[in-house]
Amino acid sequence: VSRRKILSTRAALTLTPSAVNKVKQLLDNKPEYIGLKVGVRTRGCNGLTYTLDYTKNKEQSDEEVLQDGVRVFIEKKAQLTLLGTEMDFVETKLSSEFVFNNPNIKGTCGCGESFNI
Amino acid sequence: KTASFHLLNLLSVRSCAAPLTSTSSNTEHQNTSSTDAEVHLSQSCVKRLAEIMEKGQYLRIAVEGGGCSGFQYKFSVDSVKNEDDRVFEKNGVGIVVDQDSLEFVKGSTVDFSQELIRASFQVLKNPQAEHGCSCGSSFSVKL
Repeated sequence: VSRRKILSTRAALTLTPSAVNKVKQLLDNKPEYIGLKVGVRTRGCNGLTYTLDYTKNKEQSDEEVLQDGVRVFIEKKAQLTLLGTEMDFVETKLSSEFVFNNPNIKGTCGCGESFNI
Repeated sequence: KTASFHLLNLLSVRSCAAPLTSTSSNTEHQNTSSTDAEVHLSQSCVKRLAEIMEKGQYLRIAVEGGGCSGFQYKFSVDSVKNEDDRVFEKNGVGIVVDQDSLEFVKGSTVDFSQELIRASFQVLKNPQAEHGCSCGSSFSVKL
């Protein structure tokens, strides 16, 4: 068993350029909010689902991710489940959504909204 | 006569309370009594379709097997109308549903829901669906 050192410099969450742009666009003209907050909630056929909200303040237990000028906060409850996740924004003609590419998950629901660890 | 008047009163009170829960589709209930199988379009759906669709393009709704609850809705953009398609139009925009899929979605409302995390078309209030997935893309049929 090799002992791997966990790199503390690695961000808990990375954002793709399209996600960065969308978050920037969302926070534009909304100076009262300092960023977005990502969380998980028990819901859906596979156990958990992601939540996304505007946030006005940073809670003590929140993990702050600062990338390309946008700030995203991760709720304490979600930090373990989200570790190493890439946040992407996918836009098609019929829908647009934030997609979380999470390396920790074991299974997802058909639509990808719900997942288990 | 007074009894029917009271009933009417009750009904109007109920419909006043309804907008608390329904978001944008509360105007779509009026003609559900028609015998023909219909699919309704909510205002947000009409608005969004007007934005993204070019002339001659329709939003096609199909029902396929799959998803965690047995069936799932598929949305696509189509400019071809087949023989067995039904077209539902409102304010210049239209959706097409083929006959087989219509059996599963008749009476429901197509809505465009916008949240922070996602914005997408959804089939709401489907009388045929028993329970669905949390995201609403999958459902099981009442037997």
